[in-house]
Amino acid sequence: MKLKIIISVFVIILGLAAGVYFFRPHTFHGTVIQSPEPSFDFKLNSADGEVSLSDYRGKIVLVYFGYTFCPDICPATLANVGQALRSMKESQADEVRLIMVSLDPQRDTPEKLAEYVGHFHPSFIGITGTDEKLAEVTSLYGIFYEKSPGSTAETYLIDHTATLLVIDREGYLKLVFPFGVTVDEIADDLKYMLNQ
Amino acid sequence: MNKHLLNGLYGLLGFIMVSVFAFKVFQPIQVLPRMQISPAFTFTDQNNERLTSEDLRGKFVLYTFMYTSCPAPCYNISETMQEVQSRLGEVQLDNIEVSFVTISFDPDHDTSTALQAYAESVNADTSRWHFATTANKSLLKTVIGSGFETYYEDKGDGSFTFDPSFVLVDGWGIVRAEYRYATEVSNADRILRHLGVLAEEVRNSTGSAKLAYEAAHLFLCYAP
Repeated sequence: MKLKIIISVFVIILGLAAGVYFFRPHTFHGTVIQSPEPSFDFKLNSADGEVSLSDYRGKIVLVYFGYTFCPDICPATLANVGQALRSMKESQADEVRLIMVSLDPQRDTPEKLAEYVGHFHPSFIGITGTDEKLAEVTSLYGIFYEKSPGSTAETYLIDHTATLLVIDREGYLKLVFPFGVTVDEIADDLKYMLNQ
Repeated sequence: MNKHLLNGLYGLLGFIMVSVFAFKVFQPIQVLPRMQISPAFTFTDQNNERLTSEDLRGKFVLYTFMYTSCPAPCYNISETMQEVQSRLGEVQLDNIEVSFVTISFDPDHDTSTALQAYAESVNADTSRWHFATTANKSLLKTVIGSGFETYYEDKGDGSFTFDPSFVLVDGWGIVRAEYRYATEVSNADRILRHLGVLAEEVRNSTGSAKLAYEAAHLFLCYAP
């Protein structure tokens, strides 16, 4: 009888530990936003025509603002997202899209953008638009950017906010990843969102 | 043994439910919601210098929107800002800086000189209180109207119709509180209390305590 009680207590403690572990809330690696409204919908140009954020309603959309001449942070972020998608099941990765908005419409034609983003993952989409339209979209997504002169008129850089934004299936901004987020962290949060 | 096991599992389930309920009801930790991303902008301030949203990163920022020729008392907007400015010492902020930004939606009249004169008239501490606008009216409408969701309209006679409001933004550029006169007349007490709640979250939300803060966000334990 005594043995049964000891075993029971042991099983309960084990259950409690397992319960705490398995039912603990997911800790997102990005900052969670609890927006009461869907995020601002925009329409910009891709190599295949106009693309709206709302075209991808039903999928998780990562939005990144950058440009193809970007020497370091843009390729690093895009490579991490590409790797994160490759680490997931194909059916899961297919539920995610990345849209890169180019802040450099003078040099980044939609065709050039499509070729650039395709190097990181075949599902990535590259879009851009007029300066006026970009000013509106970037402002509403909290993205600051400005040209920084290079050695010649054609070699300027663009300083920009390097956050990676995650829009959920219903079109709400759900997460903001800071620059430096790792492949595993991106994959972990995306998998959790896909399973919700 | 099966009976003991079953009782234990019921106990575990009950314990978890009571804990969650107690956390929601007693709210041992209160937070401010992360409502949306604050809009990015490049404006010109009262010193005719550039003021960008990026300059304000890492600081708590209290925004408000008005025009300097708004007839007094103009909803006591600047008086509320003044009171928050003068009572900042009551909040335990540690080393977190607090900035105030009054954005004018009347760039035709609110030149840098006019903004500077207004700043002096309201005894603004201009090391932390900025007065800014931009001649790009389309961008101004995007930032104030769509970004900060504050309505204003030029009546064409030098005056404006607008919904007075304050917006509190954290150091990551995320809107954490909105104070709209349409729902409740803003007061400095509430804003100061919220600055304290924000500072406390920044101070304590590290290590395992971060999980408790995330739970407070998850269970909507919002400071009134």
